[in-house]
Amino acid sequence: MLTGMIEPTSGTATVCGFDLRTQLIEVKRHVGFVPESGAVFESLTGLEYLEMVAALYGIVRSAARDRIHQFIAFFDLSFETLSEKLLGAYSKGMRRKVVITAALLHNPPVVFFDEPLDGLDANAAVGFKSLIQTLAREGKTIVYSSHILDVVERVCHRVIIIDKGKLLLDGKPDELVASHQSGTLEKLFTQLTGGTELERRAEDFAKTFRP
Amino acid sequence: MSLAAPPSSLVQPVEPAAPPEKTLRRLFLTLFLRGRSSRGLKKQTAPKSIGQKLSLTLGFYALFGLFALFFWGQPIFALSVYLHAMTFVFLGMFVASSAGEILFNSEEADILLHRPVTPKALLWAKVRVLVEVSLWLAGAFNLAGFVVGAASPDGGWRFLIAHALSIVLEAMFCTGCVVMVYQLCLRWFGRERLDGLMTTAQVMVSIAAVLAGQLLPRLVFAAKSVVTFSQTTWWIALLPPAWFAGLDDALAGRAAKGSWILAALAILVTGIVLWAAFGKLARDYGTGLQRLGETVSRRTSRGERRRWIDRLVESPPLCWWLRDPVKRAAFLLTAAYLVRDRDVKLRVYPGLAPFLVLPVVILLPQYGRSGSDGGFGVLFVAAYLGIIPLIALSILQYSQHWQASDIFRAAPLAGPAPLCDGARGAVLCFLALPAAIGFGLVLWLPHRDSSELLLLLPGVIALPVYASIPALGGGGVPFSLPSEAAKSAGRGLHMMGALFSSFAIGGLALLSKSQGYFWWFIIIEAVVSATVYLLIRRSASSAAWTSLE
Repeated sequence: MLTGMIEPTSGTATVCGFDLRTQLIEVKRHVGFVPESGAVFESLTGLEYLEMVAALYGIVRSAARDRIHQFIAFFDLSFETLSEKLLGAYSKGMRRKVVITAALLHNPPVVFFDEPLDGLDANAAVGFKSLIQTLAREGKTIVYSSHILDVVERVCHRVIIIDKGKLLLDGKPDELVASHQSGTLEKLFTQLTGGTELERRAEDFAKTFRP
Repeated sequence: MSLAAPPSSLVQPVEPAAPPEKTLRRLFLTLFLRGRSSRGLKKQTAPKSIGQKLSLTLGFYALFGLFALFFWGQPIFALSVYLHAMTFVFLGMFVASSAGEILFNSEEADILLHRPVTPKALLWAKVRVLVEVSLWLAGAFNLAGFVVGAASPDGGWRFLIAHALSIVLEAMFCTGCVVMVYQLCLRWFGRERLDGLMTTAQVMVSIAAVLAGQLLPRLVFAAKSVVTFSQTTWWIALLPPAWFAGLDDALAGRAAKGSWILAALAILVTGIVLWAAFGKLARDYGTGLQRLGETVSRRTSRGERRRWIDRLVESPPLCWWLRDPVKRAAFLLTAAYLVRDRDVKLRVYPGLAPFLVLPVVILLPQYGRSGSDGGFGVLFVAAYLGIIPLIALSILQYSQHWQASDIFRAAPLAGPAPLCDGARGAVLCFLALPAAIGFGLVLWLPHRDSSELLLLLPGVIALPVYASIPALGGGGVPFSLPSEAAKSAGRGLHMMGALFSSFAIGGLALLSKSQGYFWWFIIIEAVVSATVYLLIRRSASSAAWTSLE
C-alpha cells in the first residue's frame, strides 16, 4: 500500500510529507521498490529495461547511463551482457541485481525491499547488505521485508513482527531478543507465531523416507 | 503513518526527459513485437525475427486482401461492405486475442504500478499500440481494396480518404469495445470472477466480430443485388461494419440519405464507446491491474469441478481409453488448463471461434443449404470439423508456464507420446465432440432430416488424422513452448495448409457425391485415413525428446 500499488481503504499515511491518497504520484517518485517476484519485462535487454525505468522517473538518458554504470560496477555485471542479452536469458541472481538497480536508479529517499537477497550469490548478498546499511546511515529509510530472520537481525535497526495481520512486536532486535530471552530473533519469531515442535515434526517426517 | 523527511537527493533531470507516455508507448510496442518472455534470445536476433514475422503477417493479410479484386467495377457500398466486414473480423479477433495480455498482465503490477505514472497514461499507451498494430493489419488487408475503390465508377480519389478515415474509426471502435467490456467486468464483478469473466467477454467479442463480419456480406448480397439501408432494411444498422461502409459511401460514393445515417452511427457510436472506455471507466483500470496482482483465495466450486473431471476419467469409456497413468495425467492437465488458465482460454477459444461460428453461418437455413447446393455447405462444415482438434492442439503447445514443462523431461519418459495422447484425448472429448454434436444439431433441427448428417462423415473420418498431426516427430507437447512463439507467421501458414487440405477432402467428397460414388469415397477415405493415422502414431510413439537447445 505504501508503494502506491494497492489503494488504501481507510486511514492516513504520508511518505516524505506527501499524502498517499492525494499525492500518489509524488509518493511514487520518492519511493523505490524491489518486489519479491523480481518481475521484469523479459524481452527487453537489461539496459533497455533500466533506461525505460529511468525515463519513467524523468531521468534523461545520459544521466541514467552514468547511474547504470555505477550499479554495473558495484554488482560486477558486464555492460555487454546488460546491453546485448534479453532479461529472459539472465540468471535469477542477475535479474535480481537489475531489479535492485531499477529500484535505486532515481536515488529515492525511501526504499522497500521484499526478500531482496533471493537469488543473489554469496558475494553479491554480502555487498548488498553493506549497501543498505550504508544507505540507512546516510539518511535513507529502508523497509526490509524478509523471512530470513538472521539477516534481519544483523542488518535492521528496528524490527516489526506481524502475524495474520496483527502487530506482535515492534522494537530494536537485540532488545526484543533480550527481553523475551529467546536467544535469536528466529526463535523469538517461532515462539510468538506458534511454530512449536517444529524440530520434532521434521524428525518424524524424515523417518517416513526410511526404506 | 509517516515515512522519512522530505528528500533533497532525487536524481534531477538537467534537460527535459522523454515524457512517460512516449516511453510507455515504446515499451508496449516493443513488448508486443518481441513477446513478453524471451528466454535464451539475444537482442541482435530478436529484431530480425520480429521484422520477418511482421512482414510475413502483413504480406499474408495483403494477399488475402486481393479478394477485393472480385469487386472491380462494383458500387462503393458493395465493396466497402465486404472490406469492412472482413476488416472487422480481423481487427476484432486481433484486439480480442491481444488485449488480455496487453491490458491485464498480472506481473506488470510489480514492475509498473509503483512507478510515477498514472493508470490512465498506462491505458492510453497500451491502446495506442493496439490501434497502431490494428491499423498496420487493416492497411495491409485493404491495400487492394483502396485500388479497387479508387477505380470504382462512384469512387475515385475521395474513396482513398474516406476509406482511410473509416478504417481508423473502425480500429478505434474495435479497441474501444474490448476495453469497455473489460472495464465493465472490472467495475461490476470482484477479483474472484474477474479472470473467468474477462475470458468469456473476450471470446464473446471474437464470436461477435466473426458473426458480424460473416453475416453482413451474406445479408447484403442475399438477393443478388446490393441491399442498402432503408425503412425495410433497417436491420443493416444493427451490424457495425455497415456503419463504416456507410461512411465510405456517404463521403465517396452515392451519398444517399441511408449512407449518411449509417455514417452518423459510425461516428456517434465510436465516440460513445471511446468516451465510455477511456473517459468514464478509465479510472477503474489501475484498480483492475492491482486486483490482478493480488492473491485471492478462490471460493468457487473448483473442488467439485475437479471431482467431476476425476469421476469422468474413472468412468467408461474414458477409463478404458486412459489406462496409461501418464496419458491420464496429461488428459487431466489439459482439461484443467482448458477450464482454468486464463492465458490458454484466451488463445484457444477466440482461436476456435471462427471455426465454430462460420459453419453455423453457412448452415443457416436460407444460405448454403444442401437442398440448394448439392450438399456443398454441409461438406464445407465437415471440413471445418476435422481441423478443430488440430488447431486446438497446436494452440495448446503454448503456455505462459512453459518452463514448468521441464518436469516432463525430468520424468522417466522415453518420449512425449503419452503426453500428446492425453492432450489429444482432452481436446477430442471437450472440444471436438461438442462441436460435432453442435454442428449435427444445427444441421438436423430445421428439417429433422438425418440423411444430411451422413455428409459430416468425411470430416469425422479425417478427425483422428488431423488430431494426431501435432504429435508428428515428437512435437505438440502440451504447454511446452512460450506463448509468444505462437505468433509465428510460419505457424499461420501451416494452419492455412491444413485448412486447404481439409477443404480438398470436402471438395472430393462433393465431387464423388455428385457422381454417385459417395460411399466409395467414404471407404477409400477411411482406408487412407487409417493408414496415415497409423504411420503418424508410429512416428509419434518412437520419437524421443528433442534437445532443449
